[in-house]
Amino acid sequence: MIFAQFMSGLSRGMMLFLIASGLSLIFGVMNILNFAHAALWLVGAYLCYTFWYLMPNAALGLWLSIFLAALSLAAVGWIIEAVLIRRVYDRELSEQLLLTYALVLIIDDLIKIVWGVEDKLIARPPLVAGPVFIFGAPLDSYFIFVICVGFGVAIGLWWFLKKTRYGHIVRAAVFSREMVSALGIPIPRIYTGVFALGIFIAGLAGAIQAPVGSITLGMDMAVIIQAFCVVVIGGFGSLLGTFVASLVVGEVYAFSILIWPEGALALIFIVTALVLIVRPWGLFGTPART
Amino acid sequence: MKFKQILVVGMLVVLSGWVGADSCPAAEPYHLGVDLAVTGTGALYCKDGVDAIRLAVDEINKAGGFLGKHPIKLFVRDSHTKPDVAVREAKDLILRDKVRCILGTYSSACAVAIKPVCKEYKVLHIAAISNSENITKTHFSPYTYQVVPNSYMQAKAVVLGVAELAKKKGWKNYITIASDYEWGRSTQKNTVALLRQLAPDLKLKKEFWPRLGETQFTSYITAIMAQKPDFVIGSIASKDNVAWMKQAKAYGFFDKIPYPGSLISVSELILQKKTLTRGLIGLCRAPFFAHMDIPMMANFVKHFKSRYHRYPSDWAVMEYDAVYALKQGIDKAGGIETEKVKDALKGATIDTTRGRLFFRKIDNQLSCSSYIGVVADDPRYPFPIYHDLVEVKGPDSWRPEAEIIAARSNEK
Repeated sequence: MIFAQFMSGLSRGMMLFLIASGLSLIFGVMNILNFAHAALWLVGAYLCYTFWYLMPNAALGLWLSIFLAALSLAAVGWIIEAVLIRRVYDRELSEQLLLTYALVLIIDDLIKIVWGVEDKLIARPPLVAGPVFIFGAPLDSYFIFVICVGFGVAIGLWWFLKKTRYGHIVRAAVFSREMVSALGIPIPRIYTGVFALGIFIAGLAGAIQAPVGSITLGMDMAVIIQAFCVVVIGGFGSLLGTFVASLVVGEVYAFSILIWPEGALALIFIVTALVLIVRPWGLFGTPART
Repeated sequence: MKFKQILVVGMLVVLSGWVGADSCPAAEPYHLGVDLAVTGTGALYCKDGVDAIRLAVDEINKAGGFLGKHPIKLFVRDSHTKPDVAVREAKDLILRDKVRCILGTYSSACAVAIKPVCKEYKVLHIAAISNSENITKTHFSPYTYQVVPNSYMQAKAVVLGVAELAKKKGWKNYITIASDYEWGRSTQKNTVALLRQLAPDLKLKKEFWPRLGETQFTSYITAIMAQKPDFVIGSIASKDNVAWMKQAKAYGFFDKIPYPGSLISVSELILQKKTLTRGLIGLCRAPFFAHMDIPMMANFVKHFKSRYHRYPSDWAVMEYDAVYALKQGIDKAGGIETEKVKDALKGATIDTTRGRLFFRKIDNQLSCSSYIGVVADDPRYPFPIYHDLVEVKGPDSWRPEAEIIAARSNEK
């Protein structure tokens, strides 16, 4: 019983990590609090539906659709950064939030125009349509895939930031844009790349969410609040913090459903509030980034 | 000279218009408001509802409108499935668009919220999707009518079926899972209370309340499976229901735990045609296929299908009936004045796609049925429908009048 609950918490946590990691990456590197992150996540889900719909008989239809959706959204992210976000780097946080909130409204209306208001449904391939049993505990086989992707993204981001030259430049830019710029490295291009990467992960998360239930307008609003909780608990800009906080939120939610079902959601916000009071910069953040 | 000529001609034009208007009065259009969740959690159901309303309005307008002379002008607003937005839109419909009636609503919380607004401004309100019994049971408004089987009626229908099954299968305990909002709460409460009466030996082990808009039910599923109940009763609707059913199926939930009487409307039957577990015992509110022998239903399905290229859901059926209920109220009243129409509908018997039904005087609840059946494929339709369909009639399932009187006497 406890193992099954742990696994369901893990899958929930990984789903949250996929959403929040892009948000955290963009904030950590660029200091932009992207309120439109969840709206773009939703576009990722719709794009996945479209690709899946266009490849009804392809053996790898769903998997290909997930990848193509993430890739397409990265391109969208690239354009958004180059056209809009770049202009507000030096503005106040409130102005950045206003711009990204305006993006939320624009994206919501665009979704209505392109995909309509009807819910969309993706049928899962038989491989991930049924349960698997781990130590006798049932688990939706699709969530094995979700958990693997979550860990994959976590390791991939760590490797990228710690082990690659580009990653080193990105981390250096966090501390001193001027110094990086003085070395002849074009900061705007770095930022565009990071933003596109963050949006790629958002698209990946949205596309992965798509076959879980139905795709519908308004899904993003519920998700963004929990994603912000994760980022607050983990510490703004800390990827390790985001990862740990995602697991904490997922597991707290899963076990409180078992013990105190009515207070499951409230408990997450209580944890968030406690972190904000005791350690405003989050579990793994730094005081400079409160 | 020229100025005088223009003045005379102008006066003649104005005068002729005034005289003409007096001798042949232009019929006043009927402003009809719709306050439904075109987006948000309820969009899955409401899109069909709005389409059916448009169809009914066009049919009536083809014949000249209400009473053959009041063309209907439709105003559709999006409540976003949020009570505050529903109220704002209702007020706007009343004050700006001057509507005489508001059709709606999705989410009982929205219905309960706009009821006092309609009462205050003396505007008719016909609830055709939201079905908490509190819409008409408590804080009664003579302007609010309900053409959908309410939560008590649906709960009673489920309980009658479940009590029978429990006896047959020797079930001893159960768990409930219901969306945490007005409809989910009231349906669950009624179900549990009725089960206590009809099957007092059954024990409620635990209650689960996922929030409205939940996308991931995995933790609920594993928690319920861990409890090993004899059966589970669910009250989850719309897109939440789609996510719940899909995820529960992927866990093998339905193979292990009986799940009788959950809401599986025609929307879910169509949307989940490939994935829905056959053999599930489901509940719905107005399945068109139960009444294809009634000419009004057969015509409605034919026209809906030819216009929208799909079959109508329960929500479409009930919104269509709502427009025709209003029409028959106006016919009976002989005019479009809201007070007269309201009085004409009181206790009225009307023709609907679901047969000849009547509004109960005490609560303006239509005597419509609830339907329980077994999900099964059918060669007549490209999606599963219900077989062994049991129709629980309104008068057999609605709350006794004495209980309504008692509930109202406790109101502040």
